[in-house]
Amino acid sequence: MKEIGAKEFEAEVLQENGLVLVDFNADWCGPCQMMKSVLEEFAEKNNTVKVVGVNIDDNEDLAREYNVSGIPCMVLFSDGKETKRVVGVQSVKKIERMIGV
Amino acid sequence: MIYDIIIVGAGMAGLTAAIYGSRAGKSVLVLEGNIHGGQIINTINIENWPGDYKTTGAELMQKIYKQAVDLGAEVEYDEVIKIVDKGEQKEVECEDAKYTARAVILAMGTEPRKMSDKQARDAGNRPVSYCATCDGALYKGKPVVVVGSGNTAKHEIAYLEGIASKVYHIHHDDPIPQDAAAVFVAIGRVPSTECVEGLIELDKEGYVVANEDCTTSQEGIYVAGDCRTKKVRQLVTAAADGATAAEKAVRYLNKI
Repeated sequence: MKEIGAKEFEAEVLQENGLVLVDFNADWCGPCQMMKSVLEEFAEKNNTVKVVGVNIDDNEDLAREYNVSGIPCMVLFSDGKETKRVVGVQSVKKIERMIGV
Repeated sequence: MIYDIIIVGAGMAGLTAAIYGSRAGKSVLVLEGNIHGGQIINTINIENWPGDYKTTGAELMQKIYKQAVDLGAEVEYDEVIKIVDKGEQKEVECEDAKYTARAVILAMGTEPRKMSDKQARDAGNRPVSYCATCDGALYKGKPVVVVGSGNTAKHEIAYLEGIASKVYHIHHDDPIPQDAAAVFVAIGRVPSTECVEGLIELDKEGYVVANEDCTTSQEGIYVAGDCRTKKVRQLVTAAADGATAAEKAVRYLNKI
C-alpha cells in the first residue's frame, strides 16, 4: 500500500477520478497494523479502487482537516469528494460492502 | 456442507483451536464478526509470549491466522447471532448465513463494558474510546475524561496525562465534563456470550461455566479462552484452552 503525505494528497486523492480509499493510520496503533494487511488483501482483489495510507503523526494537518477522531479511519473519496467513512479495524468483506464493490 | 467443527471467534483461543482441529484432519470453520486477531491486536508490545520476545499483537496474530489457514481452516467474517443445538448437529445462525457443524468451540472472548445510557447521552457526539494507547495521541493538548475506577482506568489516566492538556477522572454515572474532547471508558470487560444465552450455562456475569477441560453444559459444545470461567486470562492460557477444547471436540467427533 502506498503511503502518501500532505504534498501528494491533492494529486493522489482530490484530483483522482474514481474511487480512492484513504487509510489514516499511525505506527503506534496495533489495529492499524492489522488493517494494513487487510487493505493489502482488499487491494489485490479490487483493482478498481485505489488504496493509499496517511500517517497521522507525519500529517497532523490532514488528520485535523478530515476530522480523524479514531484510527484506523478509512475514508472513501469518489472523484475527489468524501462519500463514506468507517472507523476501526474491519474485514475485507465489510470494506467491500461499504464501498459497494 | 456440514463442518466437523465450527469455532466462534478468531482470537488466540479460536485460532489455536483451528490449528489443532485442522491438524487432526477435521474440517474447521472459524466465524468472526470483526477481524481475526482478537483483543490482543490492540497491544503494541508483547513480552510474555514465549519464543516471540517483544512482538506486536497484530504481527503475532497475523502469523497465527496464516498458520491456521495454511493448515486448512476456513475463516468467514460473519457475526454469530444464535446457536441451536440439535444434538448431533449444531446450527450456527449468523448475520449473513447459517452454518452447520457436528461440534462447536466457543471462543468469543470479552469486550469492553459500555458506559451507562446516561453517560452516553452526556457524551453526545464526542468520540468514545476504549483504548487510550490506541487513540490517546489524537487528543494531544486537549482535555479528555477517563471513566472508571479500577486498575485499567489508572493505567489509562497515567498514559493520557503525558498527552492531554487535562485528564478528568470520573466514576461510572458521574456527569461527563463539558469541555472534554473525548471520553475514554475503562470500566472493565464483559464476556461476549450473548449468542449462547439460554443455550449454555453461564455464570452471573455471563461467562461460560467450564472447567480446565473446556467442556460446557452441552455435549459437543466446548469453550476456550477469556469467555469461560477461569482464573488466569492470558495469551498462553487462551492458546492452551484452544488446544484442550479442540482435542475434546476431536475425541467427541471420533465417537459419534
